[in-house]
Amino acid sequence: MKKKSGFLSKCMPYAYITPISLILITFVFCSLIVAIIFSFTKYNIIAPAEFNGLFNYEKLLRDKKLHLCILNTLKITAIAVPLQILVSTILATLISTRKDKLVGKIAKAALFIPVLSSNAVVGTVWKAILNSRNPMVQTFFGIFGIDPSMLLGSSTSALVTLALIMVWKGMGYYMIITLSSLMSISDSYYEAAKVDGANKWNLLTGITIPMLKPTLILNTFLSVVSCMQAFDIVYTMTGGGPSMSTTTLVMYAYQLTFKGAKAGYAMTVSNVLMAIVLVIVLFQQRFMRREASEI
Amino acid sequence: MKKKLVSALLCISMAAGLLAGCGNNAGNEGKDSKGGSEETTLTMWMPPLDDDTEANFKNLLADFEEENNVNVEIELIPWESYEEKWSTGIGAGEGPDIGYMYAEMYPTYISSGVVKDMSEYLEDADYEEYKYIDRGEMMGGQYGMPIVTGVPFIMYYNTEILESLGETAPETWEDFKRICEKATQDTDGDGKIDQYGYAVGLNNGGMSNLYILNAYFYSLLWQAGGDIYNDDLKTARYNDEAGVEALEFFESLKAYMPENVLSLPAEDAFSTIFGAGKAAFGVTRSSQIQETLFAESYPDLKWDYVTSLKNETYGTFGAADSLSIMSSCENPELAAKLIKYICSAEFMTEYHKIAPGAALTVSEEYVGDAKMERIVTEDVDKWRPLQVGPCGSEILENLAAHIQSVMEGKQTAQEALDESVEFADETLAEYWEENE
Repeated sequence: MKKKSGFLSKCMPYAYITPISLILITFVFCSLIVAIIFSFTKYNIIAPAEFNGLFNYEKLLRDKKLHLCILNTLKITAIAVPLQILVSTILATLISTRKDKLVGKIAKAALFIPVLSSNAVVGTVWKAILNSRNPMVQTFFGIFGIDPSMLLGSSTSALVTLALIMVWKGMGYYMIITLSSLMSISDSYYEAAKVDGANKWNLLTGITIPMLKPTLILNTFLSVVSCMQAFDIVYTMTGGGPSMSTTTLVMYAYQLTFKGAKAGYAMTVSNVLMAIVLVIVLFQQRFMRREASEI
Repeated sequence: MKKKLVSALLCISMAAGLLAGCGNNAGNEGKDSKGGSEETTLTMWMPPLDDDTEANFKNLLADFEEENNVNVEIELIPWESYEEKWSTGIGAGEGPDIGYMYAEMYPTYISSGVVKDMSEYLEDADYEEYKYIDRGEMMGGQYGMPIVTGVPFIMYYNTEILESLGETAPETWEDFKRICEKATQDTDGDGKIDQYGYAVGLNNGGMSNLYILNAYFYSLLWQAGGDIYNDDLKTARYNDEAGVEALEFFESLKAYMPENVLSLPAEDAFSTIFGAGKAAFGVTRSSQIQETLFAESYPDLKWDYVTSLKNETYGTFGAADSLSIMSSCENPELAAKLIKYICSAEFMTEYHKIAPGAALTVSEEYVGDAKMERIVTEDVDKWRPLQVGPCGSEILENLAAHIQSVMEGKQTAQEALDESVEFADETLAEYWEENE
């Protein structure tokens, strides 16, 4: 009996991780392998793939559209990530000081609602709002001297608009992570610092920010990866336009697959994205390790 | 201990379920045995064409099914994911026997050998009976039989606005531009334009920027005497004199379009600006029951239409979505018979009572508003389907992006078309290198 329970307890951890492992192996690991293999082929999904060596990788270098899409993706990332981290941290700080009050609870829930909404719905709704010529919307944007109905119509403003909507959509998620991290900072640190005569600024820069650093690094990298994979909001709001000014890497891969029937090349493009994300993740792990050792 | 065991078993059963879900149900395909005799099954993929396409088709196909001992399985695919479902389904070897396809889809499927040339199943009588059968001829074969056609994009005009300007229906580009200029006004005197010449929207999002071409550009290109491809389909030609003339003319109309033309989806431009009586002209796909539809959607709108303006010639885009037989179909003869039956007067006379459309055969009578009839009679040569050529969607999406660029003022018409044609020629060269 003893032997049996020992065997069971050895097996049980494996049983627990089996479902998620299968999902990861099937949909992540196998997909990666397939994408790498197919990136060396001419493949249009419909007909069998034909090996074409490094042709797709050579094409990457001379594909002007791809270079534009990489640039667009980086621009969106550069705008959205700092804003997302800044806004979510400020919101988390504000809510943490009112966490037990009704207003804090309502704000926390309200800010998290966009996170729960699907990107496609968010894109469609924002597009309708911006183009609606609704007096309320016009008045609100008018405060900043902006005509909302023109925002998606220019190469410059469309990209910024998309980035801001992505900030709005994701800030609740990063706010919750930051908030939980804020809550875990022991009050004894603050009390000890106050005894030593620290003011609010000293508390923020000497305790809160250093203690939040690992969380902020995690948020930054999660946000970067999410921005690099931007698709649904762009797809529904602009379709990559005007004049390809908002076409992101994932959007381009999608167009190549389903509009251009070039799935082989699309997988090559996806591999570029994967390589970029991989480098980012490696950086993140290095940062996190360093921060952990410092703390 | 018990809890641990139960949760471990649950995990294992989840994993088993996951694996089972990844399997296929290959055993359910092909032929079913019913009442001793073997019944053939034909699968058909199509988009929704009315409120309950599957039930309506099944109901009208009942006699055919009984007569031919066949079960027609209809799978409806939403328009939004139509091409994705097709390519993934065909790629997985789970394609239909018969499919509803549109022009942009054909080149890839034809060159991949997925669609069957149905010439051998057609007789001389068919070419006389089916009015639009020639529009199913593409890339050297009869790859489709048009099922939805006769509803081209046409130019609607607001009769009240034109009357107030002392104008009548435009016939030429000059007429059109003159009226647009006169119609663009600040009618309430608040210093802002609130009535436009031409209700245009150039942001259709992911649904398809090709709509921009369908609604606004093909007509001008064809009216100027141009086209997308050269006859050998090896190079594109829309940067020629006709193409530049068409795009320059479109650009010259920008002053008469809504200010947010580049933010606005085309359908919204039509419904919220033209439909609301705030524009002299608007373009959208026609319908045989347009009077009924507009009376419901825009009860105060007084409207009429011109099928096509004239420059060098007439021309506007009218899709010829077709039914095609897939090469994998095990019974192509029966599939061809089914397609001919669906497009026949017997089927369509009844179906068009449910969902009005253009008569596809000489035997079928016109069903619809009298006002719209001239599209399929005296104006029938003023509209045409798209020239089907290789890499169609890719080339045309790129062209749409360049048209946006011109309208944004980032490029001249000549620069944009040259750049777009350069891309098209490179894409075509790559295609022909691989396929010749």
